[in-house]
Amino acid sequence: MLVKRPPLFLYVTLAVSVGYFISAIGLGAPVSESGLTPSFFPILVGGAAIVFSSILILQKIRTEPKEPGASGPRNFTHLWVVLAIFIYIIAFKPAGYFISSGIFVFVLVVLFSSFEKLLQKAVISVAIVVIAYVMFQQLFGVRLPTLWG
Amino acid sequence: MDFILLVISSSTLLLDPLNLTYVVMGFVIGTIFAAIPGLTATLAMALLLPVTYTLSVETALMASASIYMAGMCGGSITAVTINIPGAPSSMMTALDGYPMQQKGKGALALGHAALGSMFGGALGALLLIAVAPFVAEVSLLVKTTGKFSLLAFAIVVVVIAQRGRIPQAGLAACIGLMLATIGLDAMEPITRFTYGYSNLTAGIDLMPVIIGTFAIAEVLIQASSTNDIAAATAAAEKVRIRRRDFLPPLSEIRKIGFVCYLKSSLIGYFVGTLPGAGGSMGSFLAYTEAVRTSSEPETFGKGNPKGIAASESANNAVCGGAMVPMLTFGIPGDPITAIMLGVLVINGIQPGPQLMSDQAGLIAPMLATLLFSAVVLIPLTLYLIGPYFIRIVSVRKDVLYAVITILAVVGSYVSTYSTFQMFMALGMGVLAFHLRRNGFPVITMLLGYILGPNLEEFLRRSLALSNGDPTTFLTNPDSLFFVLLTLVFIYFLVIKKPGKKLAAVPPN
Repeated sequence: MLVKRPPLFLYVTLAVSVGYFISAIGLGAPVSESGLTPSFFPILVGGAAIVFSSILILQKIRTEPKEPGASGPRNFTHLWVVLAIFIYIIAFKPAGYFISSGIFVFVLVVLFSSFEKLLQKAVISVAIVVIAYVMFQQLFGVRLPTLWG
Repeated sequence: MDFILLVISSSTLLLDPLNLTYVVMGFVIGTIFAAIPGLTATLAMALLLPVTYTLSVETALMASASIYMAGMCGGSITAVTINIPGAPSSMMTALDGYPMQQKGKGALALGHAALGSMFGGALGALLLIAVAPFVAEVSLLVKTTGKFSLLAFAIVVVVIAQRGRIPQAGLAACIGLMLATIGLDAMEPITRFTYGYSNLTAGIDLMPVIIGTFAIAEVLIQASSTNDIAAATAAAEKVRIRRRDFLPPLSEIRKIGFVCYLKSSLIGYFVGTLPGAGGSMGSFLAYTEAVRTSSEPETFGKGNPKGIAASESANNAVCGGAMVPMLTFGIPGDPITAIMLGVLVINGIQPGPQLMSDQAGLIAPMLATLLFSAVVLIPLTLYLIGPYFIRIVSVRKDVLYAVITILAVVGSYVSTYSTFQMFMALGMGVLAFHLRRNGFPVITMLLGYILGPNLEEFLRRSLALSNGDPTTFLTNPDSLFFVLLTLVFIYFLVIKKPGKKLAAVPPN
């Protein structure tokens, strides 16, 4: 018998809900003589989250599994985008706005298109970075980090 | 009456070149974002949020209002011309708009859409201006227990309004509430869920939540998408629209009838006042009503302009309706009003009953802009640049998403000049991406996050005032009213269940 496996995301939400609930209990008794304590509401919310997560996991297990191969082609570009953003944030202050943003935008343009016409894409990336700089720094007065000074 | 006069007098702010530039730019950007399938006016608003730090509150709210109005009507451009609604609220417009396009009357369909949007947007704004002060006065009667029941009502309604995915909506609301509890407790000097990390002591800032939820998550969704947009681009390039074709003849407007515009706008307005209902529900109900009362229902779905008029009048009237609970109770009706709420909060303004009496001067220009956008900008924008709008679909997606990403990530740095907020925005983006991909409505998470702190505070205060007696929520008339209202909504939306047609409406 085929049993549909719920998405990993649901197990993660259940685990986070349980962790939150345990942390909430760790805040102390939910009710004291003076009334509700800071732990009452989080215990309530954490409990509700566990219930909803469990319902969703059970629902997924009970639903009919899809035919093998029914799902469409998978695309992992979003993982590269997340990684690019993560590295960009780390490099943002040490490398300064221009260097970090220039490389970041170029990588994004390539990720959303293809590994062709790289020179044209590099020029577009520089233009985007300069326009964004003018917008943030000159127009809205936001101080962006620079490599020197 | 004083408030109406204030709105009229604040219209002069639109004559200020800076304000007018932001309003017009907001409208054009909102239209462009709404027209491009995959992008939304909500995303445009999220990207605007960091900019509001450098603008006056009035200007920021005025720009937000014009984006909101543009977002509701902009989706009709691609709905009519290539049968791909740019925004969920324009889904019903495509039913009759695209058949008209196939008959060579696409421009006329867009003209009808603009006229309906203009009527609905204007009526919704006028009703808002007329009604909001009274609602604000009534809301002053709602005391602590009533406020808790009202907030609980809002969260329950937004969860049960997510037809067919209530457990997902419930879990998303819980995630939002969990996020809201991080940081210093509102009533006692205790930090919660910070795990010794000092950056979390003040809680999670609204800015990264909004930017992550609407901008970064959208970029990730598009990055993971395998949809081929080449077909849409090719279809868009074939469409040719002339300016003179936009004007609907008077005979067709008469055939649609004033009653259709009025009824659809009123439906949209009242749907807008409900948390989480949104433009798609408003346009669906108005369209269904137009079909029901029509003498020739068989013509709907085959290019009847009345269907376009009903749908567009309703979704633009939603703008006015959704602002009533946002301004008077601090409860956003949809994602855009949630971001508008963010604009207020970022500027240190607490929405609620006192806002309309103490700081009406800040709100009045926004309402004047809403009316201005509906009456002036919708027809003007369509007439002047309408023939070129369809080309928007052909814009290079690699450049577009790179621009959106850098604006979103750098924008989240603006509030505190700290990379911590950038990481928070990324984290929220990844969370919202997974929520959306697994069918969770992110609006319920956002509403939980926004309303969570007040919900908890009013719950604790109510029980402290009643010495821990929970029956206080049933013995106080204001609270009892909202408890009964919640039960009525549960009965109609969960127990009795709406018709199959309503259940088929896609959520916003």
